[in-house]
Amino acid sequence: MKLLTANRLTDGLVLWYAGGPDLSGWTEDAALATRLEDEAAAALLEDWKARETEVVAPYLVPLLDENTLVKREYVREHVRANGPTAGQTAFDTARQHQRGEVF
Amino acid sequence: MYQYDQFDHAMVAARNAEFKDQVERRLKGELSEDQFKPLRLMNGLYLQLHAYMLRIAVPYGVLSSRQMRTFAHIARTYDRDFGHFTTRQNIQFNWIKLADTPQILEDLAAVEMHAIQTSGNCIRNTTTDQFAGAARDEIDDPRPWAELIRQWSTFHPEFTFLPRKFKIAITGATRDRAAIRVHDIGLQLTDKGFDVYVGGGMGRTPHLGHLIRSGLPGEKLLSYLEAALRVYNRYGRRDNIYKARIKILVSALGPQEYARQVEEEWATLDQAQIDAPHAEIARIKSFFPQPAYADKAFDAAALDRAKAADAGFARWVRNNTLAHRRDDHVSVTISLKPTGLPPGDASSAQMDVMADAADRFAYGELRVSHEQNVILPHVAKADLYDLYRLLDQNGLSSANVGKITDMIACPGLDYCSLANARSIPLAQDISQRFADAELTDKIGDLQIKISGCINACGHHHVGHIGILGVDKQGEEFYQILLGGRADEQAALGVITGKGLSAEAVPAALERLIKLYLDLRTDETERFIDTVGRLGRDAFAGALHEPA
Repeated sequence: MKLLTANRLTDGLVLWYAGGPDLSGWTEDAALATRLEDEAAAALLEDWKARETEVVAPYLVPLLDENTLVKREYVREHVRANGPTAGQTAFDTARQHQRGEVF
Repeated sequence: MYQYDQFDHAMVAARNAEFKDQVERRLKGELSEDQFKPLRLMNGLYLQLHAYMLRIAVPYGVLSSRQMRTFAHIARTYDRDFGHFTTRQNIQFNWIKLADTPQILEDLAAVEMHAIQTSGNCIRNTTTDQFAGAARDEIDDPRPWAELIRQWSTFHPEFTFLPRKFKIAITGATRDRAAIRVHDIGLQLTDKGFDVYVGGGMGRTPHLGHLIRSGLPGEKLLSYLEAALRVYNRYGRRDNIYKARIKILVSALGPQEYARQVEEEWATLDQAQIDAPHAEIARIKSFFPQPAYADKAFDAAALDRAKAADAGFARWVRNNTLAHRRDDHVSVTISLKPTGLPPGDASSAQMDVMADAADRFAYGELRVSHEQNVILPHVAKADLYDLYRLLDQNGLSSANVGKITDMIACPGLDYCSLANARSIPLAQDISQRFADAELTDKIGDLQIKISGCINACGHHHVGHIGILGVDKQGEEFYQILLGGRADEQAALGVITGKGLSAEAVPAALERLIKLYLDLRTDETERFIDTVGRLGRDAFAGALHEPA
C-alpha cells in the first residue's frame, strides 16, 4: 500500500491524493489520503508528475499496513503529515483538522 | 549603513521584474519545474518540507528599523506571523506562496533589500562581527569591506556557477565573533591589513581555515579574492557534490601549494581593473560613520539602584550587554532564545518592537548575529532600564546571552527538506531543562550548537557542546561532540560515544554539566576551558552512563 503526496504549485503546501481526476481530489489532511495499491499508485504518480501546473515533486509514501509507514521514512513523513512539531505556527495541521496526529 | 545608489536600485529592480515574469510563466505552465527551480533558487526561494521558504539576505547582518519593520510586514502579510533569523545573518520565512513572491521582493526592494544569491553555487552573504563599529576591542570596522565584497560579488559573471556555494566572513576585532576559521574564506583585519584564511568549513568534512597571506592591503582585497576564487573555480571538484567545497581543494593541494597558485594567479591579473580605487573605498566608508551620539547624562548610581531593585534587570545587564567604544554606551543583545521556544524565531509584533527599540534607543540601527540573536549596537547606558522594560513587556528580555540556553539550532526536520532529525524540539527540551536562571549563571559561558543533519547549519562542529541529529533506520539519534569553539582559538569538536535518543539528551547534558561544576577549578573556569584542561575523555562517561 502507498500514499501519493506532493506540494501544491501555487503555495507549496503539502497535499495528499484522495481520489478524483483533478486538483480538487487532493487534500491537505493526510488522514484523508487514499491508500493505494502499488500498481495503481505507480500509475497515478506518473500521471501527476506531468501535471506541473498543479503539483510539484509528487512521490509515493510506502505503508507497511493501513497506518504504519516504512520505518526509514517515518520521522520525515510524520512531520510532513502533521506539520512542524515545534514553532510558533498556529496552523498545526492536526489542530487545523481537529483530530489527532497521523501515523 | 550603506544606501543604495542608482546602480543598486536598477539591478534589483531588473532582477525582480525578470523573476516576476518567470513566476508568471511557471504558473501558466510555460516553464517546467526543472527549468524554474534554478531560477527560483537564484532568488532565494526554496521548496521545503511543508511549503516554499524565502531566504532574505541581511548584508553582513546590518539592518535599519525600517527594514526590520518590513520583515514584520512580510511575516504578518505573507507568512504565519513569524520569521526565523539564521546562522548566516539572514532571515527565512517558512510559509511563502509562490504567487506572492514577486510582491514580497518588491516590498523588500523598497527598503533596499533582496534575496539574490541566498542560494546557489555563488558567493553568499558576507558575514561579520555583529558588534562591528561599536565593540571596544575593534581594530578596524569590517562593514565597509563587507559592503565592498557585496558589490564585487553580486552578479559576478565568473563566480555565478562555482563548484559549490562560497561563504566569506570578516572580523575586525581581537575577539573573533564571526567564526572566520570555519568559512571558505575568513578575513581578519589587523593594523597591517588582512590576514586571509582559506579552506575552512563544517559539514560532512570539517576543516579549519589555513592562513595563506598576512598583511594584505585593503586596497588589494578584491583582486586577491578574485585570484583565490579563480583557482577554486578552475580546480574545485565538480564531479562530487560532497567534495566540491574549497576546503577539499585546499586539503588536497596543501595550503602552501594552494597559496602559491593564488599568488601566481594574482600576479597575472590586471589588478587595477579589479581593485576598488581609493576614492570608492572612501565613499563606501563614508556610509558607516559613528552615530550622532546623544550626550545623555549617565547616573551610575541610578543604574545601580535599578539593578538592586530588579534582579531580572541586573542579570540582563550582566549577560546581554557588551562594552562599547564609548564609556557612556553599551551594545545590547536581544536574545531570541526564550525558555522553551524555537531559537532564532521572532513574531511580527516582536520585530516591530525591536524596530521601535532601535528608533527610541539605538539610533535606528540593528544587527543580526550568527548566534541567531538581534543586536542594538549603540545604546546609551542612561536608557538601559527603559529599553529593558520595553523588551520585557514583549517577551524579549531573556537574560541568557552566551549561556547554555542561548543555543544555535537549525530549523531541522521540522522545516528542512535536507534534515535527518529534528533540532528545535531538542533545543526546547534543553532550554526547559536549564530554565533556572541562577543555574545558568552558575554554569557560565557555554555554547550548545545543534544541527539536524551533517550539513552543519547549526554549527555543531564548533559548539562547546555540539549536537548532530542522525537518522538510524527511521529513528532520530543525536551524536554529542565536545570541545569545539568558533572564536579566535577555533577548534573542531569530537564525537563522544554513541548517539543518544532525543529523550536521553537533556539528562545526559545535566550529568555532563554537573561533572563540569565538580571539576572546574573555580567559577571563572569556563566549560570549554575545563574540557581543554582535562580532555574530552574525562567527560565521555557522564554523557553515556545510564540515567
